[in-house]
Amino acid sequence: MKRKILTAGAVLAGLGLIAGIFVYFFLFNKPHTDYSKAEADFEMKAVAVFEEFRTNPELASGKYNGKVLSLTGELTAVEQPDSLTIAVFSYEEGMFGSEGVRFTMLPEYAGSVIAVAPGSTLTLKGLCTGYNETDVIMEHCSVVK
Amino acid sequence: MFALLATVSVSAQKYITKNGYIRFFSSTPVEDIEAHNRQVNSALDQKNGDFVFKVLMKSFQFEKALMQEHFNENYVESDKFPNATFSGKVKNIGEIDFTRNGVYQTTVEGDLTIKGITKKVTEKGTFEVKDGKVIGKSTFNILLADYGIKIPNTVASNISKTIQIDVEVNLEKLAK
Repeated sequence: MKRKILTAGAVLAGLGLIAGIFVYFFLFNKPHTDYSKAEADFEMKAVAVFEEFRTNPELASGKYNGKVLSLTGELTAVEQPDSLTIAVFSYEEGMFGSEGVRFTMLPEYAGSVIAVAPGSTLTLKGLCTGYNETDVIMEHCSVVK
Repeated sequence: MFALLATVSVSAQKYITKNGYIRFFSSTPVEDIEAHNRQVNSALDQKNGDFVFKVLMKSFQFEKALMQEHFNENYVESDKFPNATFSGKVKNIGEIDFTRNGVYQTTVEGDLTIKGITKKVTEKGTFEVKDGKVIGKSTFNILLADYGIKIPNTVASNISKTIQIDVEVNLEKLAK
């Protein structure tokens, strides 16, 4: 009887340890999503997304915020503030400069957009975080083609 | 361009950035938590001191993915409240000589809106004029409860009730 209780206790302790390890590594310390490998929720022209946000930000936010978008458009410029590389597709001149879609590139894809000449057509994929009244913001972006 | 940033009038004296930086930092004996956002829109009108910034909540980056999820889904509800904004004035804008390099102590006063709740804030900061650019910096604290952000009891010891906010905006004169 005593042996059975000890065995059951040991099994429970083992299961608890496994559960603890699982929670620590797969929940508490789970890795960030690799958006370069994520499947796109929407594949479309960048200008179409920009127009949707510009004309009805609330509706577009509900549709696109937090989604993975694969957007095609012409590269206007590449900006490099601090350690970031941001590819810019511009569609309008507003009161505060050009407005369009801004893609913060993953470090491993920064060189790929820097090497591209403005005016070239690119397809970039990443996480849409919203619209800030001037631009649609995309994070964790990679080059699709 | 629209409601918020349009409060900064169209003039030749406007400075803007689309790559401003905001960090927030929570420190408790259990753990430190910080998040970074480098896609902050900000504008300053040199003439009348109007100063605004706008932040997309989903653009905050955390070290741990789980923290980022909790932040967006449970604490700031970023699907429902996608932006945080500040709209106010640099009270002593007249003391800043935009033609001369230097660091100027400033007081900024205005409305800070987080999670749909707006509070009047008055904070100290600096504006550094450097070769035609203006670098604005401020560090201040907010009470999470002031903005309706509730921390569950299970993680109450992990997250400070007061959060430190660091703002840095490198503003450039808007080309005509």
